[in-house]
Amino acid sequence: MNTNLKISNVTKIYPGCVANDNVSLEFNSGKIYALLGENGAGKSTLVKILSGVIIPDEGKIYLNENNLKLNSPLDAKKNDIGMVFQHFNLFETLSVFENLIIDSDEERESLREKIDSIMRKYNFSIDLDIPVLNLSAGQKQKVEIIRCLIRNPKVLIMDEPTSVLTEQETSELFLSLKKFSEEGILIIYITHKLKEVMELCDEVAVMRRGKLVSVSEIKNENIESLANKMVGQNLKTIKKKKEKTSSDQLINIINLNFISEDPFETNLSDINFSVNRGECLGIAGISGNGQSELFQVLSGEIISDKNSIEFNKNYIGDLNPQERREYLMAFSPEDRLEQAAIPQMAIFENVALNNFKSSNFFNNGLINENKIKEHSKKIISDFNVNTDNIELKSQFLSGGNLQKLIIGRELITSPDLLICFNPTWGLDVGAINYIHETLIKINEQNKSIILISTDTDELLKLSDKISVIHKGKLSKIMNADEVTSEKLGILMGGGN
Amino acid sequence: MIKIVKRDQPSRAIFFLTPILAIFLTLVAGGLIFYILGFKPFEALKFFFIVPIADKYGFSELLLKATPLCLIAIGLSFCFKSNNWNIGAEGQLTFGAIVSGGVALLFYEQEGFYILPIVILAGAIGGMLYASIPAILKTYFNTNEILVSLMLVYVSKLILDYLVVGPWSNPEGFNFPETRQFSDSARLPLLFEGLRIHAGIFLALAAVVISWFVFYKTYLGFQMKVSGFSLKTAKYAGYKGKKMIILVFLISGACAGLAGVGEITGPIGQLHREVSPDYGFTAIIVAFLGRLHPVGIIFASLVVAITYLGAETAQIFMQIPKYTGQVFQGMILFFLLASDYLLFFKFKFISSKK
Repeated sequence: MNTNLKISNVTKIYPGCVANDNVSLEFNSGKIYALLGENGAGKSTLVKILSGVIIPDEGKIYLNENNLKLNSPLDAKKNDIGMVFQHFNLFETLSVFENLIIDSDEERESLREKIDSIMRKYNFSIDLDIPVLNLSAGQKQKVEIIRCLIRNPKVLIMDEPTSVLTEQETSELFLSLKKFSEEGILIIYITHKLKEVMELCDEVAVMRRGKLVSVSEIKNENIESLANKMVGQNLKTIKKKKEKTSSDQLINIINLNFISEDPFETNLSDINFSVNRGECLGIAGISGNGQSELFQVLSGEIISDKNSIEFNKNYIGDLNPQERREYLMAFSPEDRLEQAAIPQMAIFENVALNNFKSSNFFNNGLINENKIKEHSKKIISDFNVNTDNIELKSQFLSGGNLQKLIIGRELITSPDLLICFNPTWGLDVGAINYIHETLIKINEQNKSIILISTDTDELLKLSDKISVIHKGKLSKIMNADEVTSEKLGILMGGGN
Repeated sequence: MIKIVKRDQPSRAIFFLTPILAIFLTLVAGGLIFYILGFKPFEALKFFFIVPIADKYGFSELLLKATPLCLIAIGLSFCFKSNNWNIGAEGQLTFGAIVSGGVALLFYEQEGFYILPIVILAGAIGGMLYASIPAILKTYFNTNEILVSLMLVYVSKLILDYLVVGPWSNPEGFNFPETRQFSDSARLPLLFEGLRIHAGIFLALAAVVISWFVFYKTYLGFQMKVSGFSLKTAKYAGYKGKKMIILVFLISGACAGLAGVGEITGPIGQLHREVSPDYGFTAIIVAFLGRLHPVGIIFASLVVAITYLGAETAQIFMQIPKYTGQVFQGMILFFLLASDYLLFFKFKFISSKK
């Protein structure tokens, strides 16, 4: 049976931002639809409206001509709309089976049969009786998908499903989605990854700043045309000139280990690598494989053995971040709002977080506000932060501007080494470009970078050497031009 | 139709207005309680809030009660601003009183200008020592400072009890549970003849000025502010988190200890079982009512001090227990927390046409 889903004139306004501005769209089963847009374009709001999480201010939803009243996620389920969110909603300590039946009132026995037949049909192999915490990200996603399939959905919405998957898991997912589509399930696929859209989808709707900008068939589009629609301008492509770098060693990590007391952290074992001056070492991996711990060990938030880190011929493993800054290291952590900056404090106060002796931000224990403000103004103009008010609380900066401020704060001291962790996570394409250009520029000034990132494209673009972290262990270090994203994918999944 | 909408950002005006709203609601609810008890609400509230401070003596009493509240609340604001939940100020006050009282007793029947400073210092050190227990347990053994500091309150009260009944009790005191009277050199000077207000008020005012300076002008204050917003950021910036925790506890303990000194060397003049009518707990309300801001705390300590006085007048003139004061203190905190809802949400009136 044909399924027709219609969104008619949907508007959702948040204070200070129109998330969806009079959006109308129509979907028919048998096709895979992409909903494409940058972060903040309004695509998540739209699918949350479809799944009953958000109630629109105006507009109607029709499924096969029936006007749906979606006041809660339960309403969406009742109307055969299934949704798999970007972040999994699973109980880690319960078994797979328990997770699957948790919101169902059918008999356990018949459900078990039903689940088994779904798994056979789509070639899923998951042990139903082990706790979810033992599953890989790809398997967890399958559990979420099965949970939708149990209810025989007419519509399946996938919100950025590949952000936690390896290349291999992604292609498996795509095979399954194509199968579902052939069986008549209407699939809406939300993403900002252009390659995936080209590979998987039949039609694409592009959103920008809350508005629907275009609906077209994939065969009439290519990556460049979609990117331009998504960003609304023609983007220049950045490329790093990969020259032969120096052999002058800047940092050397020797047999570094970290054993955490917290069972939710990852232990690091036998980390060994070195970075030369002017070089960018990329560290790839699926999130949660020890990246956060590695960043903390390198920044000094976690202190290790004095001799495990040699920087510029000094042993600094036992120094805290502030002491390491004096040796000309700089750090840009992953979490902008909870770690790198304090949203409730003014821009200039956030600048003072990177305190190094020669800056004279604090004299004899007193705050030297003029000095800090002078310095902040310089950062804002040098790093294109789009504001002229340094008294503004940093929560009012967009993600891109805040990240420029943070990178600027770290770089204005002209450090020898910048360690950054997912520096472009969640940013729009314009800001990503700016950050990438900045990082390339510092390499050209013979400064070094350690780039820990979950974005493979970013790593391939910026790194001279690449290693992969998996379960707290680093792979051998490879030259970036000898690596492909497929090879990284295998290593990220723990293969060889 | 009225709709509740989340604010884009917490309102700054509301931040300072809610304490006033909370006080207003407390008065309304208090009036209602008096009405239910069979009193005329306005008359009762007058006995509670106006009569006690209507004359010179009453005003002196107000300042006398506000002094320890202000001093302790200032100390607590250091802890609370940096997310350390010290709720054992009452214990730190008691222990400060014990140590300074012990020193004062050593100088029994001696005179000298040097005695009072030593006694005051001893009180501050006593409070610091006592506050260092939850601080050290928190930083090195990951214990919960709320439980530890609270439990230690009862320990300190029992120590005091033991001392005034046993070893330190006045040999000529007919077995009353109290020590000897301190010598005049160990007493804080009175400010006016015939009134009980004493020089301790200057300690409180100094604490206000110093805390303002530290919070807003020093690197230390900046670090405390950052740690209060996010420990992760403090760690990333390289601040010494453990030292900071211990430091704020020591400051807070010193303030509470000084409040204890003020009580025993001011109006009381000796150690006995009850050196404080729960000033250490009430000061928590004062700190929050004053929005952890030094100036706010001054006003809040005056408002809350009235509830102590009002309870006494109400007991005398209306024959209701003085614990009514605690009812009022409880209501202030309750309404303050409730009206904080308005910081993040607002009411929107929309016409219900359509």
